[in-house]
Order: sequence, then structure tokens, then C-alpha cells
Amino acid sequence: MKTKYLKTIGIKTNQPVGRGFLFPYDVTFDSSGMIYALNRGRISQGLGTRIQIFDYDEEWYGEFGEGRGTGPLNFLIPVATAFNSKDELFVTDEGSGEVKVFNQKGLPLYQVGGGSGPWSCDLKGPSGIAFDSNDNLYITERSASRLTKIDGDGNVIFRVGEPGDGELQFNMPWGVVTDGKGYVYVADWRNDRIQKLDPDGNFVTSFGQSGNSEGQFNRPSSVAVDSQGNMYVTDWGNERVQVLNSEGRFLHVVEGQATLSKWAEQWLEVNQDEYSARRSSNLSILDLPAHLQTPYQVGSQTEHLFWGPVSAKIDACDRLFITEHSRARIQVFDISGNSD
Amino acid sequence: MTTVRENLKVTPKYREISHLLRRAGFGATPGEMDRYIEMDYSEVVDELLNAPGTSTMPDDVIFRMFPEYHASLGVDACANWAYRMVSTDSPLEEKITLFWHGIFATGNDKLNNPLVLLNQIDTFRRNGMGRFDDILLDLSRDPAMLIWLDNQTNHKDSINENYGREILELFSMGVGNYTEDDIKECARAFTGWSVKNAEYMALMGQKDSIWPYSRISWHYEYRQNDHDDTEKTFLGEKGKFDGEDIIEIICRQESTARFISRHLYNFFVEDEVQVPSWQDVPPKNPKAIGILTDAYFEHGHDLKKVLKVLFESDFFKESEYKKVKGPAEMVINVLRLSGGFEEPTLSMIQAVEEAGYMGQLLFYPPSVEGWHTGQEWITSGSVLDRVNFSSARLTDLSSPGIRDILNRIGNRCGTNAKPEYVIQNFLELMGIIEISDATFDLLMEVCDAKDSTVDTTAVSFDVTASNILRVIGASKEFHLV
Repeated sequence: MKTKYLKTIGIKTNQPVGRGFLFPYDVTFDSSGMIYALNRGRISQGLGTRIQIFDYDEEWYGEFGEGRGTGPLNFLIPVATAFNSKDELFVTDEGSGEVKVFNQKGLPLYQVGGGSGPWSCDLKGPSGIAFDSNDNLYITERSASRLTKIDGDGNVIFRVGEPGDGELQFNMPWGVVTDGKGYVYVADWRNDRIQKLDPDGNFVTSFGQSGNSEGQFNRPSSVAVDSQGNMYVTDWGNERVQVLNSEGRFLHVVEGQATLSKWAEQWLEVNQDEYSARRSSNLSILDLPAHLQTPYQVGSQTEHLFWGPVSAKIDACDRLFITEHSRARIQVFDISGNSD
Repeated sequence: MTTVRENLKVTPKYREISHLLRRAGFGATPGEMDRYIEMDYSEVVDELLNAPGTSTMPDDVIFRMFPEYHASLGVDACANWAYRMVSTDSPLEEKITLFWHGIFATGNDKLNNPLVLLNQIDTFRRNGMGRFDDILLDLSRDPAMLIWLDNQTNHKDSINENYGREILELFSMGVGNYTEDDIKECARAFTGWSVKNAEYMALMGQKDSIWPYSRISWHYEYRQNDHDDTEKTFLGEKGKFDGEDIIEIICRQESTARFISRHLYNFFVEDEVQVPSWQDVPPKNPKAIGILTDAYFEHGHDLKKVLKVLFESDFFKESEYKKVKGPAEMVINVLRLSGGFEEPTLSMIQAVEEAGYMGQLLFYPPSVEGWHTGQEWITSGSVLDRVNFSSARLTDLSSPGIRDILNRIGNRCGTNAKPEYVIQNFLELMGIIEISDATFDLLMEVCDAKDSTVDTTAVSFDVTASNILRVIGASKEFHLV
């Protein structure tokens, strides 16, 4: 079993346009393998909220979105993204209660939530989003603590969940994903567990409990499932990714091992004073004072480790993409070696 | 001449506890007063001093929706602290943190790393009522303070006196109680007290660099090779002093006890002249300073015990309305009264900025001296900002805290209340004990009781209530504490 580090993509930016991230929250891939990153930006100023398009080699192809607002190209609190089989990009927005849908070039198509007719169901804090192989759409709703399934024509198939910590109860659910057999996995964020449901919305099992030991979680935000059924959980509050097998047995932890991305290298090349000071520094610090030995503080002080791992996504090449909102980057891992 | 009338609705016990909660916290909501009034005054003091720090708004919920609250610009990160001040059930813990932030004033305009300032705030929260020796030691190892006062450039073969000077002048003893040589010796003792990767971190701060992967937080590093471990003479004592020894010597000085006592008095009891004048202007209440100084030594420099003496003293209980509310204090007071922060919201960032417009942008003190306080908070511009802010918040009748006040007014006053009685109840619920005749007359006017009684349960009363709240928010009394 191994999850092998491949590379880091990204660099921080405070600009409203251009490459670089400010609080990236999710990535997804279109049918050609192009990467679409949801850059939440600094919401308080509406700065830089947009979708950015690039490839695995960090070639930059463009972006769309016009910052904070309620227009067709605006967002309030965007959270997650997913493509359907028609290469339509769905973007959830907890703030507006909508899911906006775009084509690959960023042209607004339609929206889920609000209005009337198909796709008009009421959404309360739409957060995580995923499609199954039949183009059925799953949306977690933070404010309602429920999961909604919608078919490819926009009709609600079922809604399950209510606030609580029992089976089919959620506490501010976040990420959602389906596996090859149609099972649904929900990151039950404030219950510190992953709930597994069948395609009809029936409870199957749950994994994890509160804590920081193996198989325990502190606010899991997202889960990805590979072709073997292994789960990759962004254990957000513990600043790590945990890998579990299909039965929920703990396999190993990924803590992050970021290196300089292509964009980061290019930036440092033209800022030699910082590059020089950086080379003479040791940024892999682990000898912190006692009061700073929390996952959050360790993440904030050690650059290569995860800090704010918020989303796990797997592309068609068996590569795991971990988006870190606080480090404004994506760490990529090869998971092809992970099999039971 | 302004004449003042007491609010006859208020009992002496209510009056004392209400005063305590305004000073040791940010003012009590009616709901909080319901609980506290069932306790003895000394029980309230003990709870304030010993209440465990819990906050009703968990960080994880805030960060999920708005990660900029912890890792972006200074104002955003500062709003994280404001959330705690608004939602905490341990108000003194946050008040003492605000106290130290004003004295050990450290500015993000130089550091450009708000997370390390949040860590400093957390240190004050954790140890702010501990032994003064420990507080000074924590401060001297605090990475934000070390970079703020350039101690990373204080080398054994080339000292930088900045921290050595300020720890004596501003943080412990006050001007006039040490010599220039003491400053140099003090600086020598703190050589080698630095920050991990100090050169790179200071450069990133200087350039306000967020690249490549966001700011990196800092932590203390002791550089043995850069520490001057030779003999020093400090305040008449000789030895191979390290920073810890220097702090131990500082903390047993009479001048330190008096300096800290005067700061406590200035913050919790009565506005003094500004700190730079303390060398020349004696304390307003020398006897009170003497009592606090004695308590400092009697209790081994334990500030929690000094605070207990302070809060239970007659000079404290007799100090109602002798202070001007600081801008941060005023904003938090209004937000706690109005409520509505059960869900994360970006409006906390705006609230922090409002305090800035009023003259106190937290994380951005005007200098290492901190803010000038008391009457200097009041300028023609800041008064306008204060009134606009308090009016806007207090007249938002949809906010849960204000709604609660109106419900209580309705329950107490009913359908046929005399306007004086309605006003007295409003003032009590807003924590105002005394009010000038002029303000009272104005309130009577806006009460608009042409037929001499008021129906406080009627829907139309909302308009009257809004006007009453607006006048109270704009009154001089509301801006005193």
C-alpha cells in the first residue's frame, strides 16, 4: 500500500485575475482531463472568487467568474464543483442556496435551486456535490443536514437526513462522492465520520469517530473513493489525509510533502532575495513549543505539510488531488499502488 | 450644569454587579443579568476570575465558512478575536487580553503576519491573569513581539537595544526607574532570543510576502551561539544574567508593581493621564495604587489575586462612569447586546473596522506605546462614528438581543405604562444606571406619550422603541463605563 507524492500545483495570489490561488476549495476534471479549480477568494471583499482552468503540467488556460455577488457569474460562498457526463460544470454556493451550471468555457447554462420547473428544488446551504455514473446528482445541504439526489432531468429522487448523530442523521455535512457501484459517501463533518448510503438513500454503514488516532477524524471535509473502494478522507481538523480500505479499516496517513510548484519556482526566480533567504532556512520544522503542537499550528509552521486540506479528488489517471485552502495549493499523489 | 438622576428601578446589588460586568467584561445582556443577579457579588467576581474559557462560536464553524478569519489580512484575523469577545461566556478572559494588547501593543503593519498576532492574543488569553513574571517571560519569547521590536537583530557582538528599552520603559517599570546602562545590559541578556528562520520570516514580513504558499507562522528559537553569557550589571545586581534572570529582577521591583498597578487602575477603574505623563503626574488615587501594589507583593506577583482585590475594593465599586468606553469595548458591548452572531457572518469584519474608524483598529496600534485612552477616544469624528454604529445596531429590531429587550419591556410594562417607567426599564436593560436630566427629558419626548401612558405590547410601539434605543445609543451615558 502506498500513496506516492507526485508534485505540487499552485501559488498564492491576492490578485482577482490570473494564475494562483486564494482559498481554493475544490478541483474537478472535465472529460479531457483539464483541471478546474474553485478559487473562493477573500469573500469579505469579493476578491478573486472564480473558476480557474489549467492542466496537470500547470499550463494556464483561463478563468471565469466575476467575484462576489448574485449575478450569473458571481458567487457568495462557493464550496464545491463537479462535472456531469455532458461536461457541464456544477458549482455549489452555500451563500446563495444555488448550484450554478456552466459549460467548459464558463458560459452560464442554468442553475439548481430557486425558480420553478426542473432543477428548482429548494436547497439549504448546498455544500458538497457529486455525480454517479448515471448522471444522478447528489448534493449535501449544510443548513438542512441532509442529502438530496436529483436525476439528470432535474427531478428530485429523494432527500434523506436531518440534524443529529444517528444513522441518516447529519451535522453540517460537507463532501460527497459515489463509487463505481453507486454507493454514496458523505463527509458528516461535525459528527466526525463518513456515512455510506446505498443508491436508494438507505444507510449502509459509517466509518470513524471523533479523535486524532488512526481511523478517527476531526471534521472530515471530503472523501474520494478509488477503483478498489479505498477511501481518501481529508481529515480537515487534523490537517491530514487518512486512507481507509473499503471496509473502513485504517491503511495509512498522508501528511503532505509539498515541493515548489512550477509557478512557485518561476516566482522565486524573479525574487532572488526571498529565494536566497528561503534556501538558508529550514521550513520543515518539527521542534515546536508545547503550546503550538496542535495539528493546526504544525500545519501553519511547516510548509511541506498539509494546512487546510479541504478536498480530495481522483482523476482518470489514478492521481489524488488534495486541495489546501490555507496553503493555496494542490498536492498530487499517485494512488495506483493502493490495492488490497 | 448637568444634573443627573439615578435609575430608581435599579437595586444597589444590581447596580454593583452591572458595574462589575461592564468593567470586567463588555456589559451584561439582560439574560446574563438574570443569572448573575442570583449570585452574591463576590461569587460573580470569583466566576469571572476562574470561568473556563469556552466560546459559543466554535472556530471550526467560522473557519469552514470564512477561512480568511484566521489566515488572511490583519483585520480579518482580528475579527476572529472579536468573535470570541462577542460570544464568550468568560468575558474577563477576553477583557484582560484586550488589556495586554493595549500595553504590549504589537502591530501587524510591520509584521504582516496576522496568525502570529492571533497566537500572541492566545498567549494573553491563556496566561493574562497569571504571575507577572510568567507573562513577561511569555512576552519575551513571543515571536510577534521579537520581530516587532527587532530582537532578531540583537546579537552578542552587536546589540539592538529596542526590546531591552521597551521592556523596561513600557512593559514593566516605566521611565525614570532605570538607567541607560541598565537598558544596554538588559539588551545583552536578551541576545540570542530569536525566531526560527528569523531572517527569512522578517524579510517576508517586511515585503508583506504571501509567496509561494501563504505566510508561515513563527515560533521562538533560542540561539545559544548568539547569546552574550558574560557578566552584566543590572539595576545594581551583578551576574551572568540571561533574559529569565532579568525578568525575575524586574518583577521584584517596587516600580514594576506600581507601574502595573497603575495600568490596572487605568484600565479597570478610572481614566488616568496618558502613560508618557506618568513620570510627572501622580496617580489620581495613590491610596488605591498602594493597595494594588501591596497585593502584588503579598500574592507573589499573581495578577488574578491582584484583580480580586481590585474588583472587591471600595474604590472600584465607587468608580461608575469614570471611564470612557474604548472603541473596541463599545463595539463589542453593542454586538453582545444586539446578538445575532450564532452563525458565522462577515459582518464581524465590518464591526472590527468600525472600531478602527472610532480610533482603535485592533492589531494596528498607532505605535509601541499603544493607544491613548480616556477622553482622547472622543473626537468630533469618532463621536459621529460611535453614534452611527450604535444607532444602526441598536435600532435593528430584528436582531435577537434587541428583540429580547423589547419582549422584556412588553412583559414588564404591559399596555398601560407610564413613560417614566418604560424609560427606566429600557435604561436598566441597557445597563445604564444614571442619566442626565437632559437625556431623560429627550427620552420622554421620543416616548411620545401624549395621553400619558404607553402600550408597550402594540406593534406600533416598535417605532417608539426604535427612537428610544437610538437616543440611548447616542447618549453620553452609553459611551461611559
